[in-house]
Amino acid sequence: MANQSGQLYGLTILSPIINNGSRSASQDLALRKHLSSLANGVHSPFARVAGTHFARLVVMNDVVFVGNPSKIDHLGSQYLIFTTDFDGDLDAYLRTMAQSIPAELDQIWKHCVGYPGAADAGKFADYMKKCQVETTFYFADVNDKTRDQTLKALQVKAELSAFVEENQGRPAAELQRAFQGLLTKINSTPPPAPGASRV
Amino acid sequence: MMPAIRCLLDGVWHAYPICIPGGDSVTNINGKAYAMNAITPMKWWKTPILKLIFLLAPLTGLADLKNLSFIHFARWVIIKRGQFPWLGGKQPRENLEYDYMIFFSNFNGTWNQYIDAFSAVLSDGLNLFWRWSEKFPGAVPVTAFKRYIALVQFDTDYYYNPYPYATTNDVKAAHRIQAALDDFAKTSAAMSAQDFEKAYRQFVIRVQNDLGALGPAPEGT
Repeated sequence: MANQSGQLYGLTILSPIINNGSRSASQDLALRKHLSSLANGVHSPFARVAGTHFARLVVMNDVVFVGNPSKIDHLGSQYLIFTTDFDGDLDAYLRTMAQSIPAELDQIWKHCVGYPGAADAGKFADYMKKCQVETTFYFADVNDKTRDQTLKALQVKAELSAFVEENQGRPAAELQRAFQGLLTKINSTPPPAPGASRV
Repeated sequence: MMPAIRCLLDGVWHAYPICIPGGDSVTNINGKAYAMNAITPMKWWKTPILKLIFLLAPLTGLADLKNLSFIHFARWVIIKRGQFPWLGGKQPRENLEYDYMIFFSNFNGTWNQYIDAFSAVLSDGLNLFWRWSEKFPGAVPVTAFKRYIALVQFDTDYYYNPYPYATTNDVKAAHRIQAALDDFAKTSAAMSAQDFEKAYRQFVIRVQNDLGALGPAPEGT
């Protein structure tokens, strides 16, 4: 299936943005303004949605005219594009989204046509699937590890790199004790928070 | 001369496009990853040909893409002119001349490095994917290619990256280290201190190419 690569799923959503000329602020600008102030890093709402690797939100105002002799096209609607790369199954992920960050989703998608709200996870999932477009070709460089496995592995890389540097030339018995300490530290320390700026 | 397009936001008229208040961050970039979006028009009858090429792509150009090792995730999405999501109600149905291909990439490095590398290393694969798009000039020479990408690219409004300090090479190295460490922890658990020291040296030699700090992203254009 073209949306998947290994255990990763590449979801692409195009949600039509409401075109209501009677409102004082156009929906696409209000949406852009909201997205520009949406928290990122560890405070990003997507950091709270389990299994989310990358995610992006893009307001697409129109298609592009590449020059003559091409014809000029214009979209009838503006679209909010949402792409995400996540672990596992689509239905489970959409329900997890709705249950984890319902208020944040409502603040974003309230500008879109037909959005039912995230309070009912089933309706939210149905809406998102109506807006889904099939990925034609999906590439995931690492497609057999979950987000949490990757965060843990990055922590191990950082810890081991520091350990090797700090323990050069140590006597054998000390080195062995220190190594046991490293393993204990790695096993007892939670992985870095998703979105954190450093390990 | 075209009249200026203006829009009302929070009770104030702005020239369009405007600088959104609070939008001082570069939203195409998050740590070591850059989010690219590019949309290109295609004549409808070319779409089946390109879809067939994508179907066969894993047998052709994917090895080069993996070996370049600077893309976390990428996707090509072809939307036929009648297949943009339509939710009914007052939403107008799209009436377009062309089908559209949208390319999304999460890559490491700068825009110029990315396009240069694509042009230099993957030009055959790129030409295979994009030659069906209107006015695509080819991936070589790079000047015309960059102009075309700049024309069809559109910006990301919000970009989330769960591990902004890591490139895709870092991710792959980290998983190799994790596997090697798990293995070494098991095999060295009951060793004497002297045997452990020897085994540890061998372990470090094995993983040394994957060690290194996960530092901040370089700056560039």
